[in-house]
Amino acid sequence: MKTTVPASPTDQLEVDQDIISRVLAGNRDAFSVLINRYSDPLYRHALGMTGSPDVAEDILQMSFIKAYQHLAEVRGRFDAWVFRIVANGCKDWLKNIRRTHLSYDEDDQPSGYSTPDEELDRTELRSDLDKALMTLAPSLREAFVMKHVEGRSYEEMADLLGTTVGALKMRVHRAREALQALLEEKYA
Amino acid sequence: MLDNLNARDGSGDAGRERPRRASEQAQPLSDREVPLGGTATSEMINRWLDGEAPEPVAVSAESARQVDLWRRIEEESERRRHMVTPAHVKAQIMAALPADAPQIALPWWKKSIQVSPVVALAAAAGLVALGAAIGNSMRLR
Repeated sequence: MKTTVPASPTDQLEVDQDIISRVLAGNRDAFSVLINRYSDPLYRHALGMTGSPDVAEDILQMSFIKAYQHLAEVRGRFDAWVFRIVANGCKDWLKNIRRTHLSYDEDDQPSGYSTPDEELDRTELRSDLDKALMTLAPSLREAFVMKHVEGRSYEEMADLLGTTVGALKMRVHRAREALQALLEEKYA
Repeated sequence: MLDNLNARDGSGDAGRERPRRASEQAQPLSDREVPLGGTATSEMINRWLDGEAPEPVAVSAESARQVDLWRRIEEESERRRHMVTPAHVKAQIMAALPADAPQIALPWWKKSIQVSPVVALAAAAGLVALGAAIGNSMRLR
């Protein structure tokens, strides 16, 4: 009987390297395999960090174009490399939004929340959670989104962010504390 | 005479303790509520959310409300965990890729250089002048 064995990280690395070689040899369409494989977790990260589907789509698109242009520079895991491009794109966007939204309050949201249809689709908690997330420092939000929304382990997060498990636990705990402080009056 | 305000040293009203409230006496020791410091998320809740412990059994109304809040946040996080990239975005990315294949990065010593004839002549003249200057200085010694 034939059984399906999940690809090990080494297999995945080899498959990715093979695809990268094909793209570098001129097979542009092969890049779509990498987009299909990695876009979903990256999109969730960008969406969690920015709170706006439009912005998340833009960051994802820019990141994959940048990845394509610099594909020859990939050393090691492609997914970790492209994650760093997306994460930096999110942080850059947050820096700019902070510059233009110095006092962030309930009536001062990023563009993603503003259409009436989207507002109707969201429950109150969703909306409040997004608002609360936007008040967190980027490093705390990043840790919370990676842990809770992306469902990553602390070890995986440490690997991707180049920091320690202990430091990340601290960030996640502080993010929870801050979110609880913001939400418990209304919900708890 | 000064009153002894530190009754804990045993020299004051010996053996007198703060009388327990009826609610404290009724509860078993393990069920007594430990007030959380400010808005801090309790260690129990963090361990549960980190997957290191089972869902805490609420021991007080406040902690029950906190557990309920985090259960709701987890439900929302779970929903977001299944979100996928909109289909049109993938097509947009492919359409926006440059037509040329990505450039392979070569170390500087492997890169080819282009030199115009004028630059080559100038470089040659410079080398001849440098050689002549070195020759003159050696002859002078």
